[in-house]
Amino acid sequence: MRKPRKTENSRRRRTTTVLPVKMAATRGLWRTRSLLSPRTPLLFPAAAARPQSSVSGDPVPRTSLSRPPWPQQTSAVPAEEARRRHAAVVLAVNERIQQRDFGRLFAVVHFAGRQWKVTGEDLVLIESHVEAQCGERIRMEKVLLVGAQDFTLVGRPLLGRELVRVEATVLEKTESWPKVHMQFWKRHRFQRKKILVQPQTVLRINSIELAPALTS
Amino acid sequence: MVFLSLSCWIRSRGPDRYWKVQEVLKHARHFRGRRNRCYSLAVRAVRRAFVYATKSRRIKKRNMRTLWITRIAAASREHGMKYPALMHNLTKSSVQLNRHVISDLAITEPRTFLSLANLARARQQEGFRAALGDGKEPPGVFSRVVFLQ
Repeated sequence: MRKPRKTENSRRRRTTTVLPVKMAATRGLWRTRSLLSPRTPLLFPAAAARPQSSVSGDPVPRTSLSRPPWPQQTSAVPAEEARRRHAAVVLAVNERIQQRDFGRLFAVVHFAGRQWKVTGEDLVLIESHVEAQCGERIRMEKVLLVGAQDFTLVGRPLLGRELVRVEATVLEKTESWPKVHMQFWKRHRFQRKKILVQPQTVLRINSIELAPALTS
Repeated sequence: MVFLSLSCWIRSRGPDRYWKVQEVLKHARHFRGRRNRCYSLAVRAVRRAFVYATKSRRIKKRNMRTLWITRIAAASREHGMKYPALMHNLTKSSVQLNRHVISDLAITEPRTFLSLANLARARQQEGFRAALGDGKEPPGVFSRVVFLQ
């Protein structure tokens, strides 16, 4: 089984949309791919650096079919620039979290064999038995993603335990409505009918909390 | 009047036929035609309905998955990526969100979906760069890239 990755490997992504984002200072540093100026499209971007022994100029003679009809943009960001952008994004998100500037948080939680996208005050109906009594508080540890209005923390595959805390209360434990399981083969005099009743648990998500400081 | 000798030929052939019939008819009340009133027709219709419900519970899971995939494909094409590229690169970046959750994010959290698409695209470009090489040929190999003539 794959070990869950720790906090150091969580990638933070600040999303850019057409809506005005409060972080005007760092907006200029992060450009999406569409804004990059298209450079001369190369069929093999590494071929430009490769010394040509017999063929000079383009590796392939330019005909109507030598290049694909869509515009080819080789946007290889140099490593230094990428590191600077990443540091800027991490700084911005850290600042946000320290000042508790976000509103409502949502989280994607892995629980009872399924993944749920939950917020505070959510009701979750689970089609199985949960080992906790009614009224007990539960902490959901396997958090895959946490998001707010302006930033998202994506775990690879899980976020750290010290980073997020998702708490829920067990409200009620009931049984499902009686489902009919019926089999019938025609012309074989075979039919079987069974009533299935599954245990159900209802949880109320109390809160999702972020730790005040992230590590990079 | 008092009957001193009981009749021997009268017997009860089941005191609860009415309730047994109602048990079947109650599942057929919303059917069309005589199948919601007449027991012989209702029995056959109810049996088919139960069998369809049983089989559909397994097919529903397949249908839901197809629906999620369609939705994720549509949302990722809005951002200039295709569904196989998105999912494969998310898996390679060890993001283990399932299709249910990703389609929900695409509907209700568009900015988070955009950030996932950017993550997948960055990983894709990294993969392309790693495959195309850094311009230096490995020693002992004439050429790794085929030149079309």
